Amino acid sequence: MLAVAIDESADDVRPWTDGITFPVLIDSEHLLSELYAMSNVPTVVWIDEDDRIVRPNGVAFGSDLFKEFTGVEAGPHNDLVRAWVRDGVEPRTTEGSDAAAIEDLSDDEVRARLHFRAAVHARRAGYTETAARHFARAGELAPHDFTIRRAMMPLVGDDPFGEKFFAFYEEWDRAGKPYNGLPGVTGDVTD
Amino acid sequence: MQATIVTDEIRTTAAVADGDRLLIDPAALPDALGWEWKPEGLCRDNVCVPVRDRAAVLVADKLDIGAVAAALGRLAVVDAPAGIAVIALAKELRREALEERHAPAFTLPDLDGVEHDLGQWSGKKKLLVTFASW
Repeated sequence: MLAVAIDESADDVRPWTDGITFPVLIDSEHLLSELYAMSNVPTVVWIDEDDRIVRPNGVAFGSDLFKEFTGVEAGPHNDLVRAWVRDGVEPRTTEGSDAAAIEDLSDDEVRARLHFRAAVHARRAGYTETAARHFARAGELAPHDFTIRRAMMPLVGDDPFGEKFFAFYEEWDRAGKPYNGLPGVTGDVTD
Repeated sequence: MQATIVTDEIRTTAAVADGDRLLIDPAALPDALGWEWKPEGLCRDNVCVPVRDRAAVLVADKLDIGAVAAALGRLAVVDAPAGIAVIALAKELRREALEERHAPAFTLPDLDGVEHDLGQWSGKKKLLVTFASW
């Protein structure tokens, strides 16, 4: 297990890692959202001994805590992971299927990440208005990306579990719940 | 001013804001961006990217960071008045992940600030899980 927090500071992350013994890294620049084309958390990637991506960006949860909200059960993915770790069972790909293809980021989605990074640096330097401008531009360029829209909320003084989040969630829902990766594993192997 | 240049690393370097352009001394480019400005073009290790329109990049003996990024085929956000330039990672690295299904390397700190490479766990299966406090 290798956990990476797409978060601004270690202080925000530490409360969540009590009792955890596996490595927890912090990605304050959101490099992984660009490098691996991730648009939400949690995103799970299976990487084998030779650094091959065996199962790409997927939505999976370790528990059923948010099952009613997300529609994703933890059991099936956990079972698949165990089969992979214990017996080397890799996800099957349907012949000729594009089911496992992950779409690349558009230029606008990349630019959104660049504006987000610029905003983080401006904010750290105390340039609040400059930061606000770049956060806003990032949100315009990637309106359905959680690593942009939701991640900026605590950095601009909004509650990521409050009204602004639910308004964003409705937008995302109306747009067809786009996500850069595989849908959640509810009971079927998706690829 | 001291400008912040952000790629997969964060560097500060002396720079001049000229309207929308952020200009730096050519000698400062290797440290700021890891590339060198040479007659052959922009060079890094043993690779040189030819630059057709040198006049777009070299402006009165200074390098326009945004134009350097463009010459390297990288998207960039340059905020000259704020002294911040953010340059995208090479698209090929993401293609590695998405098309070639090879996990691109990264180096990130743990909560104690100690840097870790993905490569240090080669030879083991890894379940990479991203999460957030938001």
